[in-house]
Amino acid sequence: MSQIALTYSGVTKSYVKRRVVIDDVSFEVVKGELLVLLGPSGSGKTTILRTIAGIEKIEKGQIFIGETKVCHDNFALPPEERKVSMVFQDYALWPHMTALENVAFALRRGSDQKKDRSPKALVMLTKVGLSPKANRYPSELSGGEQQRVALARALVGDSALVLFDEPLSNLDVDLRERLRVEIASLVRESGATAVYITHDQGEAFALADRIGVLCEGKLVQIGSPEDIYLRPATPFVARFTGVSGEIAGIVRSRLGGDLVEVMIDGSNGAIIATAMDSADAGDRVTVLVRPGSIKVVEDHGDGSIGGTVVDVAYRGKSYDHALLHGTFHLHGVSSHRRYERGTSVIVTIDPAGALAYMSEKGTGGHEPSVSHLAFTSEVSEEVNG
Amino acid sequence: MALLLDRPNDLESKVPSRFNLKKLNLSTLVGLVVVVLIVVPVIYFLALAFFPRLSTPGAPIFSLTGIKYAFAGDALRGLLDSLGVSIAAGAIATSIGLSLSWITKRTNVRFKRLISASVWFLLLVPTYLTTAGWQRLLEPGGILVRLHIGSLALFHPFFGPLGVIVVLGFSGIPFAYLTIGATVENLGAELEDAARVHAGSRLKSILIIAPIFMPAIISSFAIVFAESMSDFGVAYSLASGAHFPMATYSLYTAIDSIPLNFSGAAAISWILILSALVPLVIQRKLTKSKSYAIAGGRRRRATMVKLEGKAKVGVYTFLAVVFFLAILVPLIGILTSSLLVGFGGSISLSSLTLSNYTRVFSSTLSGSPLWYSSLMSLLTATVTVAVGGYLATVLVKKGASWGVRALDFVLLGSVALPGIVLGAGYIFSYNQPIFDHLGFAIYGTSKLLLLGYVASAIPGASRLLVGPISQVQSNMAMASRVYGSNPSRAWRHAVLPFVARALLSAWLLTFAKTLLELPMSQLLYPPGLYPLSVAINRLVAGYDYGGGSAMSIVALLYALVIVGVVSLIYRLVIPKGWKALLNVDASKNEGF
Repeated sequence: MSQIALTYSGVTKSYVKRRVVIDDVSFEVVKGELLVLLGPSGSGKTTILRTIAGIEKIEKGQIFIGETKVCHDNFALPPEERKVSMVFQDYALWPHMTALENVAFALRRGSDQKKDRSPKALVMLTKVGLSPKANRYPSELSGGEQQRVALARALVGDSALVLFDEPLSNLDVDLRERLRVEIASLVRESGATAVYITHDQGEAFALADRIGVLCEGKLVQIGSPEDIYLRPATPFVARFTGVSGEIAGIVRSRLGGDLVEVMIDGSNGAIIATAMDSADAGDRVTVLVRPGSIKVVEDHGDGSIGGTVVDVAYRGKSYDHALLHGTFHLHGVSSHRRYERGTSVIVTIDPAGALAYMSEKGTGGHEPSVSHLAFTSEVSEEVNG
Repeated sequence: MALLLDRPNDLESKVPSRFNLKKLNLSTLVGLVVVVLIVVPVIYFLALAFFPRLSTPGAPIFSLTGIKYAFAGDALRGLLDSLGVSIAAGAIATSIGLSLSWITKRTNVRFKRLISASVWFLLLVPTYLTTAGWQRLLEPGGILVRLHIGSLALFHPFFGPLGVIVVLGFSGIPFAYLTIGATVENLGAELEDAARVHAGSRLKSILIIAPIFMPAIISSFAIVFAESMSDFGVAYSLASGAHFPMATYSLYTAIDSIPLNFSGAAAISWILILSALVPLVIQRKLTKSKSYAIAGGRRRRATMVKLEGKAKVGVYTFLAVVFFLAILVPLIGILTSSLLVGFGGSISLSSLTLSNYTRVFSSTLSGSPLWYSSLMSLLTATVTVAVGGYLATVLVKKGASWGVRALDFVLLGSVALPGIVLGAGYIFSYNQPIFDHLGFAIYGTSKLLLLGYVASAIPGASRLLVGPISQVQSNMAMASRVYGSNPSRAWRHAVLPFVARALLSAWLLTFAKTLLELPMSQLLYPPGLYPLSVAINRLVAGYDYGGGSAMSIVALLYALVIVGVVSLIYRLVIPKGWKALLNVDASKNEGF
């Protein structure tokens, strides 16, 4: 019996005015796996999820859920026959039904007798800590409680696949963290196969068995969280999963393995970076620096560069500094010691976290946002540590 | 309507598919129904203004005779009279509507539910009944005279433009109240606080806040003006007898008297449509050109003004006067008249009798108008809500095609289409020999009247339903589909609970309005079968005021009982969860 729970093969979809939202995307999800599709707004991740659910049709390609072909060029199995569950971004709880009724509704399509549905739904609500509020209507529950009901509804049946459409995006930071842990443990405990979409890199790295990164309708990389973080296939993937800064320069020499020495534009400094492609001496490159890779040191050494502190922020355990080296900014430079603005410091960059891409290949065009940078130290600690 | 959800919500997809083709067919079919019911008869009729040969063999193909007729003599006077009284009615209704909105939404006045119910009642009462009530009270030999209260001094001014303005102005109050009320309610406290903080005095802060109400005030005026221009009831029952011709009555006489003047009637129709449409278009432009958006997630509810002292006395006096004049006076007039027999003489308790009511159901008057109108209203309301609900669902879909946008335009324009024009279009269009050849000879039958009722009700009903239907999140039905419901069940399970109340309100409103509808009934009733409004006006025209009044009271009571009983049954039979929805909505909405 096949271990593949979902096959998404060569799928293309476009809207009016020929705007392609999914461009020849293919991937597989094995049983019991939690795949996170990560991408910015407009990258096509929601559309992929909706095509799997049967809410939207595809133009080309085919989709199998298990061994059942649910979608190809001129055929689409309606949503109710796909046996998937879904947690919607806005929860989509039916407000005229209690929490228990919402959860029990998902059991109607299964083999459960009518009398067994409520007890089974109650067990699921107990798992998410909501049994005391089982008879409340959604309007009488908080946002986090509503999300738990939606989660219980998705997991109560034996769905072939559970789909998560950015389920935490409407919650505040604290609650998001707690529910993220709950989702991860409940999904794994139930043995469900899940596809989870998000634009939040922290959420993706914390939850995923594998991550697929989407950009403008294309699946640009799919792999384990470590693969994605340590070996991003393109500058876009690197930027979207967090960088502390970018340094342009020219490769002076190729060192052992993938390492290269890069002369920084406009300064005499040089750093050692990992070549992500076939950059060789004389090639122009852009080095994307992972945040956990920069360290303040007392003395100059191999691969160290100088910089001037332009900002400093207290972060509890340490201080985050923003540095200026020539014309290049480096953010999130962590140190236990506070360096005041205007102070000259020396930093070293771990070559494993300095990712050099040849400039002529393009740099992706998606500048990392402030929120991306803010998250970076957290991810780097999780991945490195 | 379940057919809407028979496949995934994928309107934007350019991929041709079996599903889209099906949906296209159904939408096209409903679009065609709208075109056949509304667009074709009206355009065909309007063309007569310039192409008289369409109705009269031997007449010139193109002529401006109809236009000249519309701008000369009584027709021109009718047009000017209509314009004058409609402007005045718009101003009166808007002023009262604004005041009522402020009082009910922003003060701690008591009886808010009664006020709201009274406004809805006013919406149901047709202008010819309001007119009849005032006339029965004030006319020579009327109730006040018979009670030895001098009323002739009031009657003469009332029996002319003043009476028309009073009736149209009061009838316009519900439109003004409903249009302005939402704005007053949504004006968050933070805007008022900001005005007070930055402006200083209360007067200055009012001057800052006032422009926020302008779109609502302009909308209110435009709607009441358009309704007044289109009104036939008061033109037929009051203005015509007072030698104060109005445009709708000029149109009626052009097609109801020999020689028939379809060309002139069509020209008057052009003017009526344009005069009703122009202010609505201007209002739409004005409100679209500037952002007056005041509703938002961060809105803080405004504080209620506590009424005290002189303000309290003033507010309650204002409410008493408005509802006394708008509802009680005409109601007392009709009710008292319905209990009296014969003319003249003093009124005492002994002269009050129920014999007029007995006659309403006896062979003398025959009870058939009530049952006939009931059946027609039942069918009209049911068909209208089904078609209007479907149209509303199509209109709120994202990524609308040009066909849907055209449909939206037609329906919006048709809201301003006077019933008398649609009726005239029906008379002319369906009297063509081609329908006999096609085996669709419905002219002079109840079928044509039913079509006319439905055609005149669909635009309003679909616009009424667009709001509630657009508020239902598509994910509700999609979640139901994902968890195993077929399209029909998903609609019943996840959409119907949200829109049921709106559908019911639309059904009740259409039922009650059709029950007492005049212009379409007057033009299209089949020989020997009298709708209520026609029967009432025939009795009044034959000086059987008691019979006419009794039938009016029975009709009004009947409409109210139907509204009340159906609403009660709805509340009793709906599932518990639907009631939870009602309770959530109760703080936000008013209605049946």
